[in-house]
Amino acid sequence: MSEGRMYPGTGKDERTTFAPYSAFDIPQDLRELHGRYDVETTARRVRNFRYAEEWMMMMLGGWLATVPEVPVKTGLGKIIWEGAKAADEFGKRLPELRCGKRAAESSEAGNPGFADLIQEIAAPETPDLTIEKMTGVFDVLKPHLVKVYERHMRETDQIADAPTIEILEEIVRKTERHVAWGHEILDRLCDTDAKRQRRHARQAELNELLEKCGGVTGDLALDH
Amino acid sequence: MKRFIEHEELARDRRFIRQQNVAADLLATLPDDVDAVVELFEKVGPVIEAGTRGTAAEPLYDRFGPAFTLMTLNEPIRPGDPGTEDRLKMRMHGIFVGELQALEGAGRSLWDFPEAPWEFKMNMARQCWDEARHVQIFEKLLDHVGGEVGMYAESTFLFEAACADDPALRVAGVNRALEGLACDVFRDNIEYAKQTDDALMEQSMDYVLADELTHVRFGSEWVAEFCKDDPERLAKAREFRRETDRRFNFGGARSADKDAAIQIAWEDRKFAGFTDEELEDLAQLSGEGPSRKTMKKAIEILVARFQEEHGIPSEAQS
Repeated sequence: MSEGRMYPGTGKDERTTFAPYSAFDIPQDLRELHGRYDVETTARRVRNFRYAEEWMMMMLGGWLATVPEVPVKTGLGKIIWEGAKAADEFGKRLPELRCGKRAAESSEAGNPGFADLIQEIAAPETPDLTIEKMTGVFDVLKPHLVKVYERHMRETDQIADAPTIEILEEIVRKTERHVAWGHEILDRLCDTDAKRQRRHARQAELNELLEKCGGVTGDLALDH
Repeated sequence: MKRFIEHEELARDRRFIRQQNVAADLLATLPDDVDAVVELFEKVGPVIEAGTRGTAAEPLYDRFGPAFTLMTLNEPIRPGDPGTEDRLKMRMHGIFVGELQALEGAGRSLWDFPEAPWEFKMNMARQCWDEARHVQIFEKLLDHVGGEVGMYAESTFLFEAACADDPALRVAGVNRALEGLACDVFRDNIEYAKQTDDALMEQSMDYVLADELTHVRFGSEWVAEFCKDDPERLAKAREFRRETDRRFNFGGARSADKDAAIQIAWEDRKFAGFTDEELEDLAQLSGEGPSRKTMKKAIEILVARFQEEHGIPSEAQS
């Protein structure tokens, strides 16, 4: 038990006897302050991310009725729920980033081009277009989001923006699983050269649009 | 992708056969009159027959004629009763396609109403996952009772009846009428599973029932939310749910009568947010159709006429 002062007094000789210790002395914590994005930029990006997740789960919901393959319908059910939870987590982060209490439900496209891309990805309608539907989400949009989320996690302030990183880590983990599932389904569906060609053509067409609009935040050069 | 689709547009793989929804429509309008029931079923006999061709129900039609649909619906499923095995398969298949349509209905609610409140979308997204698991569960339960997907024709009348263009009506139809019906059917099946010591069926169905109660509660809450300060819309939603319930009574097969094939799961429904007043109303609605006695008599006449016409020995009725 210490015999020195337990609590500081008001005089300069009335300090406690505890040795000083800084969190920055801990050798394991190599994180540094300052990142690429300030609070406003992160808030805008989170609104962009939320837009992508929200629209993606809505379009997948619409397709449940128009894809004939039962395992695709049932597999999408869980992905829809995880997409909604991702959008919800992004929404909950927004009031913490000075966006106001009502900001939790606000989504914003990175730019009109990205909003158009979302509508183009959602365009396939009839039951013979499962390949086109799945390609848009699992070959183009979700892999793009994983790249952007990972880059954000790497380049944002590791300590100050840690809550965003925590959210993204969980979403990336699940999204990578979604992509792996989607690829399995697409590999199975594309069992002829003609079908593989359809997949590649759709992927190329959408990737071109993605590059043109700058992706989810409108700034592909910085995000990929 | 367009908003709002017709039930004919529900996509299926090649195992499925579709049935015209006329029989379901007909059941909703049957009066409590033996002659009228007989006349109506003889009139739609060819449509019912068409829905059985190429399916496991074909031998049943060939043996009993159009009345076989009434026979399968009208009697409770009890262990050891004649035809229980076939009727259980039919019911499991019916639930399987019902879950498929509920999955599709919840998904369409996400796409059809982009301006809906975020919490509504969260509830519908959760329902998509739940219904997807239910489809998987009933695919396995169908296999468990010796059936397979596509062995009977699918009627899409659940989706047709429940999927309205107004979100308040949609949740009234899908979440309160359709999911409410699911509560009634699952409670009945849980009782059957208990009687047959089928722990697998009993437990999995009990989990599904728990989910359905949550979905009914979503419906109860969202009808109230969408219709707050709008009594006209609330009246429309109520009327839509009543109309959908009328169709889901299957001519009185689901009712509050003690000897009904499917009882109204009163306690489960109360837990999910139905009021006593609504339940009394449902009981009254389901009592408007033909009585079980009327149905039994109509079945006897229909089967006897069919068998006489086709030279089938009458003992086949057993």
